[in-house]
Amino acid sequence: MLNLEDHREILNQSGLEMFQLVRKQFIKSKDAFLTHDSDLAEEVLHNENRVNGMDLKLDRECERFIALHNPVAGDLRFVLALRKINFDLERIGDHAYGISSYIIEVDTPVKQEVLDKLEFEKMYKAALSMLDDIRDAYKTGNTKKARKVFKKDKVLNKINLNSFAVISEEVQKDPKLIDQYLLLFSVIKKIERVGDLITNIGEEIIFYLEAEVLKHRKKKGPSKPGM
Amino acid sequence: MSEENSESIIESSIKRKYKLQAKDVKVWYGDFMAINNVSMDIKANKVTAFIGPSGCGKSTFLRLFNRMNDYVDDFKMGGDINIDGKDIYDKNINVELLRKQVGMVFQKPNPFPKSIFENVAYGLKIQGLKDKAFLEERVESSLKQVALWDEVKNDLNKSALALSGGQQQRLCIARTLAVEPSIILMDEPTSALDPISTAKIEELIYKLKDKYTIVIVTHNMQQASRISDNTAFFYLGELIEYDKTNKIFTNPEKKQTENYITGRFG
Amino acid sequence: MNNIRKNRLKDQAFKIWGIFCTLLGLVLLAIFIGNILIDGILRIDWAFIVNLPSRHAEESGIYTALMGSIWVLLLTTLIALPVGIAAAIYLEEYSKKNKLSTILEVNISNLAGVPSIIYGLLGLEVFVRILEMGASVLAGSCTLALLILPIVIVSTREAIKAVPKSIRDASFAMGASKWQTVYHQLLPASFGGILTGIILALSRAVGETAPLIVIGALAYVPFAPSSPMDEFSVLPIQIFNWITRPQHGFVENAAAAIIILLLITFVMNGIAVYFRNKWQKKFK
Repeated sequence: MLNLEDHREILNQSGLEMFQLVRKQFIKSKDAFLTHDSDLAEEVLHNENRVNGMDLKLDRECERFIALHNPVAGDLRFVLALRKINFDLERIGDHAYGISSYIIEVDTPVKQEVLDKLEFEKMYKAALSMLDDIRDAYKTGNTKKARKVFKKDKVLNKINLNSFAVISEEVQKDPKLIDQYLLLFSVIKKIERVGDLITNIGEEIIFYLEAEVLKHRKKKGPSKPGM
Repeated sequence: MSEENSESIIESSIKRKYKLQAKDVKVWYGDFMAINNVSMDIKANKVTAFIGPSGCGKSTFLRLFNRMNDYVDDFKMGGDINIDGKDIYDKNINVELLRKQVGMVFQKPNPFPKSIFENVAYGLKIQGLKDKAFLEERVESSLKQVALWDEVKNDLNKSALALSGGQQQRLCIARTLAVEPSIILMDEPTSALDPISTAKIEELIYKLKDKYTIVIVTHNMQQASRISDNTAFFYLGELIEYDKTNKIFTNPEKKQTENYITGRFG
Repeated sequence: MNNIRKNRLKDQAFKIWGIFCTLLGLVLLAIFIGNILIDGILRIDWAFIVNLPSRHAEESGIYTALMGSIWVLLLTTLIALPVGIAAAIYLEEYSKKNKLSTILEVNISNLAGVPSIIYGLLGLEVFVRILEMGASVLAGSCTLALLILPIVIVSTREAIKAVPKSIRDASFAMGASKWQTVYHQLLPASFGGILTGIILALSRAVGETAPLIVIGALAYVPFAPSSPMDEFSVLPIQIFNWITRPQHGFVENAAAAIIILLLITFVMNGIAVYFRNKWQKKFK
C-alpha cells in the first residue's frame, strides 16, 4: 500500500517517461523523414511497442490511484489530466509511427525544393518546440509555458492551410509524382494533428494546475504582465 | 427613525432567507477558547456538513444550535445564534421549546431502555400529548419515514435495545422526527455503524432534505462529499472555509482545506 | 528457568492462600449456622410464631416481636425511601458540582459509618422527648430511617449515576425538562439499583438492636402494635432478652428466633441480588 504522495510521484515520473519516449519518437521520425533514412524509420517502428506498453502502464496506474486513494481537489485534477495527457501523447506517438511507415513504404526521397516550398523544416521546428514547451510545463508546473503553445500552433495551422495550394500546383507540374505528393500531404496533416494534440495537453495542464477549463473556448496566448 | 427601519428590513429579509445564522460566535470552556469568531449562514432544506480534525470545535459549534452546551460546566458563549431570525440565547427563550424545533441525533445510537413505541412517542408524551390514536399515528409515520416500519410493525413493544445498531440509529432519527422539528442536527451519526447501515442512513438523510434542514458533523470526508450541499471546514476552533461541497472537493480556495481533504494532515 | 518456576510457585501459593481465606469465612459461618440450627430448628412451629412471649419458655412465641419488626420495617421504608431518593436525585442531578457539594457528599458517606447507638441517642432526644412521640413504633422507625438514610442515598446515587450520559443527552435533546428526564428516564432505568439499595439497607435495619433499646423499645411487650404510636419490641431485642435468661428453654427459643431472623435477612438479600442481576442485564 503506497501512501498518496509517493503514489502521485510515481505517476508523475511515469508521465515524464511517456513524454520523453514520445518526444524521441517524434524527433526520430522527423529526422528520418527529412533525411529519408529508412533505418531510423525502422527504429521508430520498433519502439512503438514501448510506447504502447507505457500507455497501458500509465492507464493502469491512474486507475489504481483513483481506486485506492479516492482523490479529491488537486490530486483528482492531476490524475484526470494525466489520463488525458497520456492518451494524447500516445496519439502523437502513433503519428510518428505513421510518418515513419510512409518513409519505408515510399522508396524515393522527396525533392528538397518541394520540402522547402511546403516549409517542412519550419513546421517541424515549431512542432518540436511546442513539444519541448509542453514537457517543461508539465515538469515544472508552469502554466505560462503551457500557454505558449496556443500561439505556436497557429504557425502549424497556417502551413497546413497553404500546403493544399502548393501541392496541387506541384501535382499539375509533374503528375507522375502524385504518390509522393499525396504522401507529403498526409505527413503535413499528421504534423498539424500533432500540434492540435499538444494544445490539448496544454489545456489539460492548465486545468490541473489552475482548475480552469479551456476546452471549447477561444484561446489566448500567454497573458501579458499586469492583466 | 426611518433609517433604522430600512436597516432592519434588509436585515430581517436576510434573516428570513437563512434558517440558521451564526455571527461572530465565540465559545469558552473556562479559559480554553473552543470557538474563535465563527460566522456562518445556513439555508433551509439543505444538508450542510461540518468537517475538520478531532478537537477542532465542530461538535461544539453544532451543539450551539440546540443549546446542549448549556449542560457543560464553565460554558460561556459570545456572539449571536439565530434560528428563523430569532436569537436563541435570549433570556426569554424557552429551551425545551427550542429543542422541539431543533432535533439532534448522536454518534452512538442512544435509544431509551424502553419499547420501540415508547421511544418514538417520548417526545410527544413529554409535551403532554396523550391521545392514543394520535400517538399511534405519529409513531407509524415517523417509523415509515426512516424505513423502519416494515421491520418492526409486528412488535412495537419489543425493547429498543434488541434492535441492531443501524436499526437503533434509525429509531433515534424516527424519535426526533416524531415531534416534527424543522432542523435536524447530526453529530457523526454513522461513525459507529457498519457500511451497509451507513449507506441506509445516508439515503435517509438525502430523502429528509426536502422537509428538513440538516446539519451533519462528520469525520468521513467521502460522506461529506456524498450527501452535503455545502461544506464547512473547521480547524482549531476557526472556520477556515465554507462553500458549496462541489467547490470544496474539486478546487478549494484555502491551502489548509486542500491539505485536509487530500489527507495530507489531520 | 528459575524465574518461571518461582512465578509458578507464587501463583500456586496465592491460589491456596485465597482458597483458605474464602473458606475460613464460609466455614465459620457454616459452623455458626449449623450450631444455631441444631439448637433451635426443632423449636420452630406455628405456635412459636403466633404465641405471645411468656415467662414459660415452652409457651413463649415471637409474635409480638415479629409484628413489631414488620411494623418498624414498613414504617422505616415509608419514611426513608422518599426522603433518601429525593435527596439522592437532588445531589446527583440538580446541585452544582462545587466545593460545598463535595463536602456534603463526604459527610453523607461518613454518616453511614456512625455507630448505630448514636442514632439511638439522637432519636431519644429528638423523636421521643422533643417531638413527644414516646417510645413508639413511629419513633423507632424515624430513628432507623435516619440510620439507613445514608445507605439509601449513596446506593440510589450510584444507581442513577450508572444510567449512561447518552440517555440524559437524548432526553434533553428531545426537549424534556430536568424533572421529566428524572421521572421518565432515570428513575425507571435505575429502579433495580435503587431497589437493591433499599433492600440491603432494610436488611440491616431489621437487625438493629442498640438504637431501639435506647429509644425505649421494651424487652417485654405482651401485645402486637396496632398503631404507630404504640409501644413495641423487635426480634433482635426479643432474642437478646431470651439469651439473658438462665433457663435452657429460653436458649432454645433464642436460637429459634435467630433462625427466623436469619431467614428474613437471607430472603431479603436474595431478593436484592435477584433484582440487581435483572437490572444489570437491562443495560447489556
